[in-house]
Amino acid sequence: MRCEDVTTRLDSYASGELQPTLAAKVAAHLDSCESCRQSLGRLKQLAAVLGQASAPPVPDGFAARLMAKARSRRVAVTSAGWNPLRWWRLVPAPMHAAAAAVLVIGLAVGLLMGWKTSPASQAPPAQAAVQADPLDAYNLDYLGDAPSGSLADSYLALVSGRNGEGQ
Amino acid sequence: MQTPSNEELMLSVRDGDLDAFEQIVLRHQAEAWRVAYRFTGDAAEAEDLAQETFLRILHAAPRYKPTATFRTYLFRILNRLCIDHVRRKRPTVADSLPQPADDAPSAIQRVSDRERDAAIQAALDLLPPGQRMAMVLRYFEGLSGAEIAKAMDTSAKAVEGLLARARERLESLLAWLIEDS
Repeated sequence: MRCEDVTTRLDSYASGELQPTLAAKVAAHLDSCESCRQSLGRLKQLAAVLGQASAPPVPDGFAARLMAKARSRRVAVTSAGWNPLRWWRLVPAPMHAAAAAVLVIGLAVGLLMGWKTSPASQAPPAQAAVQADPLDAYNLDYLGDAPSGSLADSYLALVSGRNGEGQ
Repeated sequence: MQTPSNEELMLSVRDGDLDAFEQIVLRHQAEAWRVAYRFTGDAAEAEDLAQETFLRILHAAPRYKPTATFRTYLFRILNRLCIDHVRRKRPTVADSLPQPADDAPSAIQRVSDRERDAAIQAALDLLPPGQRMAMVLRYFEGLSGAEIAKAMDTSAKAVEGLLARARERLESLLAWLIEDS
């Protein structure tokens, strides 16, 4: 191995991370190369010096300040708009089945109520009465004298279900 | 009761559990702070970077998948923030460290701990960002080459190169300190 290849790998070699075959090659080179042995020695000295260094401790209140930011950002995200997926994730997992059941029941009740009040479920005579006398139903009596083929007559025909042929 | 793992806590955070997030913070605030401080050399900047790291983790929690150790995940996000941060700052122009004012022989007067820490930090500040982060993760946090590669989103071979160049530079900058130790 060349010295350049060895010095590049000295960190991994010193920490025992090299694969055995490669480590053996590096070791063999070190046995015969004074320069690389000195490089390894300097690496160990540097590691020892750096290991003595101490960093200041975490500032007081670091976690408290961080959690305050986290909660305020969470509120901002929540109030920015309703995201059903985000709401779903807030529901604890064991309650997902119950939440789903409530949703299904609510939808079913809503659909049932909507069907009962829809025009399709109403008595046909009321609807026929509206179709028979659109002038009364839609307060269109002022169009009663509209000449045949006129725009007003065409409109009355559309509302009453005629084909615009005039009375 | 068994202590939940980082990955278990993160899965709870993914489901919206802020208490689990606080546990994550309490477990890892010290190492996040240390790396950010070693990288920036400034306490206020370090706090901002470390806190933003955790907030990014919280923001990304809905998409969290435990594909790597949490520590690697933490350092990966912190690394990106640190590199982006230093790119926005004006680079330093100093090429050497100021020597201690007192020239007393090391046998009589040892370098104080404070001087030593200041000299080491000043030397780190002179390294390019990639070399600096690799050195911090290796020599101060004890990460393996493979872990550093994941944290820095690069190859193990690239990490070896970063460490080799950084070592050579630091050995030169801190030669007087190494001789004194």
